Amino acid sequence: MAYVAIADRDHHLHDPTTFIEKYIWSQDHKVIAIQYGSVAIGVGLVALVLSLLMRLQIGFPDTFPFITPYNYYQFVTMHGMIMVIYLLTALFLGGFGNYLIPLMCGARDMVFPYMNMLSFWVYLVSVIVLLASFFVTGGPTGGGWTLYPPQTVLEGTPGHQWGILLMLLSLAIFIVAFTMGGLNYVTTVLQARCRGMTLMRMPLSVWGIFVATILGLLAFPALLVAAIMMILDRLIGTSFFMPALLSLGEINGTSGGSPILFQHLFWFFGHPEVYIVALPAFGIVSDLLSTHARKNIFGYRMMVWAIVAIGALSFIVWAHHMYVSGMNPYFGFFFATTTLIIAIPTAIKVYNWVLTLWRGDIQLNIPNLFAIGFIFTFVHGGLTGLFLGNVTVDLPLSDTYFVIGHFHMVMGVSPVMVLFGAIYHWFPKITGKMPNEFLGRLHFWMTFLGTYAIYLPMHYIGILGMPRRYYAYGSTDFIPSSAHSINEAITIAAIVVATAQVVFLINVFYSLRKGKQAPDNPWGATTLEWQTPQTPPVHGNWGPKLPIVYRWAYDYSVPGEAKDFIPQNEPPKGHHSLASS
Amino acid sequence: MLSALLIAMLTAITVWWLLIQRLKDKPWTKQGVLPTSQETVTSSAPKVGLWVFLAVVSSLFGLFASAYMMRRVGHGGLASWQPLDEPNILWINTLVLVIASGAMQIARNRIDNDDLNGGRSYFLSAGLLTVVFLAGQILAWQQAHANGNVGADNPAYSFFVLLTAVHGLHLIGGLFVLGRTTLRIFRSVDAANVVARSRIRTSVQLCTTYWHWLLLIWLGVFALLLST
Repeated sequence: MAYVAIADRDHHLHDPTTFIEKYIWSQDHKVIAIQYGSVAIGVGLVALVLSLLMRLQIGFPDTFPFITPYNYYQFVTMHGMIMVIYLLTALFLGGFGNYLIPLMCGARDMVFPYMNMLSFWVYLVSVIVLLASFFVTGGPTGGGWTLYPPQTVLEGTPGHQWGILLMLLSLAIFIVAFTMGGLNYVTTVLQARCRGMTLMRMPLSVWGIFVATILGLLAFPALLVAAIMMILDRLIGTSFFMPALLSLGEINGTSGGSPILFQHLFWFFGHPEVYIVALPAFGIVSDLLSTHARKNIFGYRMMVWAIVAIGALSFIVWAHHMYVSGMNPYFGFFFATTTLIIAIPTAIKVYNWVLTLWRGDIQLNIPNLFAIGFIFTFVHGGLTGLFLGNVTVDLPLSDTYFVIGHFHMVMGVSPVMVLFGAIYHWFPKITGKMPNEFLGRLHFWMTFLGTYAIYLPMHYIGILGMPRRYYAYGSTDFIPSSAHSINEAITIAAIVVATAQVVFLINVFYSLRKGKQAPDNPWGATTLEWQTPQTPPVHGNWGPKLPIVYRWAYDYSVPGEAKDFIPQNEPPKGHHSLASS
Repeated sequence: MLSALLIAMLTAITVWWLLIQRLKDKPWTKQGVLPTSQETVTSSAPKVGLWVFLAVVSSLFGLFASAYMMRRVGHGGLASWQPLDEPNILWINTLVLVIASGAMQIARNRIDNDDLNGGRSYFLSAGLLTVVFLAGQILAWQQAHANGNVGADNPAYSFFVLLTAVHGLHLIGGLFVLGRTTLRIFRSVDAANVVARSRIRTSVQLCTTYWHWLLLIWLGVFALLLST
């Protein structure tokens, strides 16, 4: 069949000519990545402020009259949903996925650039719909980020009028946006790699993003199904999830619906979602550690297999979020077993990161600080996950601060550490400027130590039995006054960590304006994105010829070589460079 | 939930099968350009894209089916599930969709052989038959309504409307692409433009795959509805 490869076409691919085409309705993956990233960070800051408001209430109850129980639950819900979906998923896949996949695979762009552009704009609509719920009657939903029916749609729950509808609608729109982006990421990895870039030569960042996208494409439909059915329950009174019940003394019109069905659907999405966030982080941190320790990644094949295995296993562990839902104990046994099995490939990855650092020429650059910090926070959060994965241990710990400590460590702080590491690492390539060293280090230490000060004590008060989701605790026998003091300390630490993020923003804007000009490859990295003819890369990425890849992505400190890194597109000795077509 | 498990396993097997040959490479031992490497964007990118999308669609319907089965068995909710008397017109609709898929296949074969003239009428008929199918589905809703046992509080009826509606929406999306392709075919029947013809061939191939797959999904949905 006659087909003209994109690189050989005589016209340039969707070449932008006007300002609007270049920066607004842009089809260039790099611009879309920055758009995705900016919106995600913007909405993430909203979620950060919400978490501070929550912490102020818990640390200093009866001090802030504007935080009512009603508002408190709205803050909890919106904080969770924004952070997990609209910040982490969007920034890792929409942001870094978009930026890195074509550059690391040696492509000029995504394979469906128009759809890629639509993906961002639809994502923006989903964010606007979500934020609009702050301004409607009743405000945003306060049903908790898991949105469990029946309480989310019943009178008495904050936002049961409009908030819940806008939340579900926004999620549905987000899923449409994600699907358009995801089709691009998967197809680009499968179809648009440059010559010589075999799957097993791809950097682990691309592997992580690739497998996470597949998870997202298969798991998000579960959330869509749940959202559609709950919208119908709420709007036209179907009874998919709504059982017959008494609400405020009156018998509800619905009957026979199954709230547990919603929980299954939600967590069939919800658990893979953890890995949708974690796998790109695993991939990116592998590249950061290898580059900044000047050593090849330890066990590359194992790392790839582990990513694939974790991705597959993540679909059969979802009900470990539902041990207290009254499900069949044999189910609990099954899901506890799969949960423990998934710890094996995860542990392999942790060992390999540590062994990559072992006897490496470790450069304590800012990205590496965050990457090493990630190993700490992830091991910490992962180990507490083993506690909660066991049914018998989970039952007493369920719904306590131990759970908050666990999941914030493992899928809050850890991915965020990688995100910051990644932003500092690729900042020179994305902007052409070096980030400020002092501010970056200050940001790291405040964030790293600060988050430990927040989440470590939470495990302790969780074991004491302090329940989560409470607006105020009053005076009870089982919560000693020392626990209240700890809560005050945690809140102060939270304020410090939030301030550190202001330092980060100052660094970004300061470095953009006054930062040192970045060289093409400041970290001496091997992967293709550092070998572009221009920094930042221009439209089309590679100039007239696509790169050709001759080696894997981890040729650092190769014995007998003059340089301590060999770029992927450097031919082996005695090998004539091939002219690219 | 069982079918959810099944989806997970099938996915795992598919991914494994796709990757198994290449995952054995030891990239650190080999340098130079390897024979398995690809040049650049190939003609199969849209096809791969479509198959990935079909995986998403299948996952969506698989999860709807799981929800259907779990809700039917219910958690003490058996009382509210009143089995639906499936409208007979669904059989006719199914036949129409099968013929549409057949017409699409003939159109594809002819257009693959560069017979745009011969293929276009079949292609258009496939589209028209699909419109007939959709109209038939609306009649089916009315019939189901007339048969009784309806209302928002009977989940069997809610699922019936929901599943047919979601399937119909996917077909409407397909009809949009089919319409655009038909216009392109009519415009370039006489033109000798190789690139335009190649694009038409690809579009028709993609439409055919999509239609066959949605037919399969409809058969699955219909079987699920009949099973209760």
